[in-house]
Amino acid sequence: MQTFKKEAIEQVLASWAKDAAVYVPVSRAGVKEFGPWSPKVEPDFTGNTRLSPKGLMFPQTETMYSYTVTEGGMGVVLEEIDHKPARRVIVGIRPCDVRSVQVMDEVFLTKGYEDKLYKEKRDNTLLVALGCLSPLPACFCESMGLNPMAAPGADAVMYDLGDSYGIIVQGEAGEALVAALGELVKDGGQVPAGEPCTLKVDAEGLTAKLQKMFEHPLWNKVNRKCLACGTCTYLCPTCHCFDIQGKNKGDEGYKFRCWDSCMYPEYTLMAGGHQPRPSKKERLRQRFLHKLQYMPERYHAWGCVGCGRCLAYCPAQVDITRFMQDVKEVAIDG
Amino acid sequence: MNEITLKMREIARDLLERGEVQRVLGWEKGTFPYQSTPFFAETPADADKLIWDEYCLNNLAVYLLDFRYGEEKVALFVKGCDSRGVVRLIQDKQFPRERVYLIGIPCPGLKDAAAAAKLPAGAEVPLADKCRTCTHKNPVLYDVLVGPEEPPAKIEGDLFAGVKELEAMEPEERFEFWQSQYERCIRCYACRNVCPACNCRECIFDQTAKEWLSKEVNGANNQFFGMIRAFHVAGRCIDCGECERVCPMDIPIMKLNRKVIKDINELFGDYEAGTDLEKLPPLGLYSADDPEEFM
Repeated sequence: MQTFKKEAIEQVLASWAKDAAVYVPVSRAGVKEFGPWSPKVEPDFTGNTRLSPKGLMFPQTETMYSYTVTEGGMGVVLEEIDHKPARRVIVGIRPCDVRSVQVMDEVFLTKGYEDKLYKEKRDNTLLVALGCLSPLPACFCESMGLNPMAAPGADAVMYDLGDSYGIIVQGEAGEALVAALGELVKDGGQVPAGEPCTLKVDAEGLTAKLQKMFEHPLWNKVNRKCLACGTCTYLCPTCHCFDIQGKNKGDEGYKFRCWDSCMYPEYTLMAGGHQPRPSKKERLRQRFLHKLQYMPERYHAWGCVGCGRCLAYCPAQVDITRFMQDVKEVAIDG
Repeated sequence: MNEITLKMREIARDLLERGEVQRVLGWEKGTFPYQSTPFFAETPADADKLIWDEYCLNNLAVYLLDFRYGEEKVALFVKGCDSRGVVRLIQDKQFPRERVYLIGIPCPGLKDAAAAAKLPAGAEVPLADKCRTCTHKNPVLYDVLVGPEEPPAKIEGDLFAGVKELEAMEPEERFEFWQSQYERCIRCYACRNVCPACNCRECIFDQTAKEWLSKEVNGANNQFFGMIRAFHVAGRCIDCGECERVCPMDIPIMKLNRKVIKDINELFGDYEAGTDLEKLPPLGLYSADDPEEFM
C-alpha cells in the first residue's frame, strides 16, 4: 500500500486530470452524484452518491445516430456520432458500485454481443474505489457476497486512514495511476478494519426457491404498497433496461436510447394493445426476479449488489431485503 | 405501545371480523426505526401489525385507486392530509363514498424520515417539511375518530412565502431557477404516482406512442412534464406535500403547486382543495361571476 496526505487530494486529482477527465462524488442542490472534477470542485467522499455512476457508462438519454432523408424519401444518409469519451477516472466509487459495473459489463459485453455505446465508454474508464469503513443503514452488500472494504473490479482502491488516504493498485492501469503521482505518495500503511453492514439478509438458496415461486401468493402481498414509479430502477446501479426512440423533423432526425423501467405500464405494452404485465404485481415480480433469479441464472451472479438505494429512496419503503426474508419464510410445495 | 395504535388494531380487527370491509389500509413498522410503511390488513390477525407513530408519512388515499374498479369496501386510516386526498378522489368520481370506511387520526405533525436516516440514533429529528405547512391536523372527513382532536393548525409564517420569493424574481432568473431544478429530474414519476390528484385512468405521460412528451430526458422535456402535471392538478392539489417528499432528486415541487394554489385563490377567492365534499374545485365548475380578465 502507498499513502498520500488528505490535503494532497487536490494535487492527486490534478495529476490524474492531466490526461483524463476525473469524476468525483459531488453534491448538486443536496443530491450527490458523480460529476466532473476541476480545482473548483470539492469532492464529497462521505456516504455514497444518490445516483449511481451507471450514467457515466450508460447515460439516461443518448443519441445513437442522426440521419437525413434524401432523394425525395428514397435515400438516407446516416451520420454516426462519436461517443468515445476522453480517458476517464472515476474516483471514490464504492465497492458496491464497482461490482455493479462488473454486472453491467456482463450484460453489455458478453454472451456474443458487445454493445458499442457502452463499450467505448467502459474501455476508457478507470475505477478508483473507496473502501467503506462505516456502511450506511441501508447498505447490505455483505449479504450479496461483497466485502465493503474490497473492490476486486477496480483499478485501485483507496482507504481512509484518518489524516491520509491509503491506495492499493490492482492491475497495470492502476499502477500507472499511482506512478503518475510521483512524490505525492509514499510506501506504508495498511488496510484499516471496517465496520460490518448492520442490515443483513440471508440470500442463500434464494434463486432455487424463487424458481418455484412464479405463481406464489406472496406476490399478491409484496406489491400492495408499491406505487409502480421508477425510482428504484433509476437509482439502481445495475438496472440497465432501455428503449430506443426517434425524433424526426422534416427530412432530418435522430435515434436515441434512454433508460426504461419495468415498473412502467408502457414498458411491456404490445403494439396491438395487449399488456402481458397488467398490474404492479407482475411488474414488481419482474424486477425482483430479474435481480434474484434471472441474473443469477444467466450470469451466475446476483443482479443486486446491496447498495441500498432502492430501499432508502422508495416512496413507499418497499424493501428488497424484507422480500428476501419473506421468501425464506414462506412454504412452497415440492 | 401507544393508545392510538391499540385502538387502531381494535377497530381494524373488528371491521375485518365482521366482514364490514375486505381490507384495512394503515401503516406498519418498516425496516428502520424511522420508517413506517403502508400496510394492508386483510385478516383479523393482520390487524396486530398496524401502528401509529411519528413516521406514518405516506398518504394512503392514493391506494384507493388500486381498488377503484372493484366492488369491495375498503377501510382507510386517514390523517388530515390523507382525508383531503379521499375527498379529492370522491369529488373526482374515482371512488364512491359508500365503498370506503374512514378511520380518522388527529395528527400532531410527523417527523422527517429522510433527516432521521442521517442523524445518529436518539438525536432530535425535525418536523417533516410537509407538516410545517399543514392546515388540517384533524381529518376533514371520517366515520370514526381515534383519539382526541388536535388544536387547529397554526402555520408559522406565510404559506406562500416561497412562492412570493419566486414571483419577485426577474423572469430570466425564475426560468433559470426552474431550469436548474428540472434538469435534475430523472422522470421516475414518483411525484405523479404518489399523488391522489393524479388519478387519470391513463396518464398522458404513459402514452409514449402518441409522444405528447418524448422519452428523451432533458431539461426542456422535464420542465414540460413538471408544468403539465402542475396544471393538471390545478385547483385539485390538496397540498399534502407527498410529491416533494418522495422526489428522489429533491425538486421543490410544492413551490410550483403553491404558485397555482395562490393564483387560484387570487382569481376565484380562497379555496382549500379537498376540505369540503360539497365545494367543487374552482376550475371544475362554472359560475356566472368567474373572473374573465382574459376576455
